[in-house]
Amino acid sequence: MNEIIATILSATFVAAVIRTTTPILFASLGGLLSDLVGSLNVALEGIMLIGALTAVIVSAHAPWYIGVLAGLAAGGFLGGVMALFHLRFKADIILVGFAINIIAAGGTVTVLTYATGGDKGTSINIPSKAVPALDLSFLGNIPAIGPFLREVLSGHSYLTWLAAFMVYAIWYFLYRTPEGLRFRAVGEYPPAAEAAGISPNRLRTYGLIASGCLAGLGGAQLAMFSFVGFTRDMTAGRGFIALGAVLLGRRHPIGTMIAAVLFGFFEALSIALPGILKWMPGELIHTIPFVVTVLALMLSSRRRVTA
Amino acid sequence: MTQGRLFLSETGRIVMAAIFALAVTLIIIFFASKTPWATFETFVTSPLSSKRTIGIWIDDSVKLALAGLAFSLVFQARQFALGVQGQVYIGGLFATLVAFSPIGTTWLALPAGILAAMIGGAFIGFIPGYAKSKLGANEIVSSLMLNYIAYDICNYILRVYLASLESGLTTSAPFPAQSIYPAFIPRTRVDLGIVIALATTVVVWFLLYRTAWGLKLRLTGHNARFAAYSGIRSSFIMVSAMTAAGAIGGLLGAVFVQGTAYGKLSIGFEAGMAFEGILITIVARNRPLAIPFVALGYGYLRQGAALMNYRADVPAEVIGIVQGIVILLVASSFTVPGKAMLARLMGNRTAASRATS
Repeated sequence: MNEIIATILSATFVAAVIRTTTPILFASLGGLLSDLVGSLNVALEGIMLIGALTAVIVSAHAPWYIGVLAGLAAGGFLGGVMALFHLRFKADIILVGFAINIIAAGGTVTVLTYATGGDKGTSINIPSKAVPALDLSFLGNIPAIGPFLREVLSGHSYLTWLAAFMVYAIWYFLYRTPEGLRFRAVGEYPPAAEAAGISPNRLRTYGLIASGCLAGLGGAQLAMFSFVGFTRDMTAGRGFIALGAVLLGRRHPIGTMIAAVLFGFFEALSIALPGILKWMPGELIHTIPFVVTVLALMLSSRRRVTA
Repeated sequence: MTQGRLFLSETGRIVMAAIFALAVTLIIIFFASKTPWATFETFVTSPLSSKRTIGIWIDDSVKLALAGLAFSLVFQARQFALGVQGQVYIGGLFATLVAFSPIGTTWLALPAGILAAMIGGAFIGFIPGYAKSKLGANEIVSSLMLNYIAYDICNYILRVYLASLESGLTTSAPFPAQSIYPAFIPRTRVDLGIVIALATTVVVWFLLYRTAWGLKLRLTGHNARFAAYSGIRSSFIMVSAMTAAGAIGGLLGAVFVQGTAYGKLSIGFEAGMAFEGILITIVARNRPLAIPFVALGYGYLRQGAALMNYRADVPAEVIGIVQGIVILLVASSFTVPGKAMLARLMGNRTAASRATS
């Protein structure tokens, strides 16, 4: 037990939490934006997966930031497709989202097969690039806390810092701009917003596209930093966990971030534990993030719902 | 609208979905294959090419139908519980435990295994329902999380207690003969599973359309608020629908492991098939009696894609793209071009028929 606590308190573990949180944070911020305007985006998982593969393939032929942008664009495109089918063709948003997930699961393997010339598992033979890490080792010069800060903050992906900035940017947008007010109004009570001359569907479209872009970024981070390269089903439920973070985050960017960090913490723990608790079966350690997500949802909601 | 016309229009929709699926596949093959026409021919004809492939097609359809039935129950109640995959793994695991218990070599093996699987699946289905009605936890996320948890638990028990060096580390030993379905046609996968799927179809239809519970369930699905005003305890309906669907998911798990295709427990035996039940029930519009036909049709396409993978240059996973696009098209009003115009011409009649459908 002491060993676990020592691990959790170590600077390397905190840094690991930041790394595991980043993709989840991107996706859950995306989920927040679409949930706010009334469309729960269950496709985060699939969009991340497609964003990841797009980023990997493009980055093999272009600089890393073009790869990241391609992941973002692919996500935004899928968000647009969801908006089209949900808002224009009146399909249920949950079904649209799941259709995207199914397309992503099959489509990424199909495209991967062609891109690699027959490998259905990984993109190992594609020379994809990584997002560079931001070197903050000068922090080590600060007396006393310097080395700790360097361990925790240095060496993260540029995208990690972008994700942290996005929390602030989305908060600013939602609570300090007129358009953000409209966003929240549509989410609270669409008829009132409509009466005030706001088109809910326009904002829902923006919300879905933005949520796709952010989930795509999450995918890019996953395949260009967390792991370098694409593996089949590499999101492994992170998109669904991000959806849990959206629901847990009380529709607020800060709340969403806290929830994402919570899930990132348990993912990092499930990565660190096999080395410490050798007796504990790997399969059970692997369930930790999922168990925590279910429990967090059950304990946080405390609100009876009718069907 | 009379029953007959309803039947025709629904059949038309299903045929439409099939045409969409073929068209989408053809387009993908044109992009993906060097010899598109030959590949498409393989895709369309290969499932009928031998007794063995026909057997696989039928067996797949049985499993797809059960998955579709499980989803149809929760979708009729408008609950998006997506936990069939987890129910299949727990059901398969429970059926396996029964098969290796002393009961596994007696005549009770099959019924006891199926019962255990259904109880296990029902429990997995019950959790998100209970969490939603009592604690307000979103059923989509909790059911999806349970899928991952159930998968890991199944693999854990398999690795530690059931797998051995002789059986290969990813599978259990073969079940005793009494715990495997009798094959109706020797050396094919056509077995007792067919009877189970058809019986389940009738049971689900009866529950939904001939019992008070089914009426309440469908009312809750159409308009939860109206149902609540008319005194229906919607939270009970919600939880019971998810539990019943869970039992079907568990049953599907038993059909997987007890069927002649496996006759043992393997890692990842479900291979993503549970989620394909979504497509089945969407195309069938959650109507139990239509589900076996949709399952046969989709099972055929799925088998065609799998064989195309071996015999041509297009990977089997393209079926995922086809599946997703068909869901998009069928779930949206996009399916029937000119539907808006039709509605205007027909006036209230179509509106009324939509309300009863």
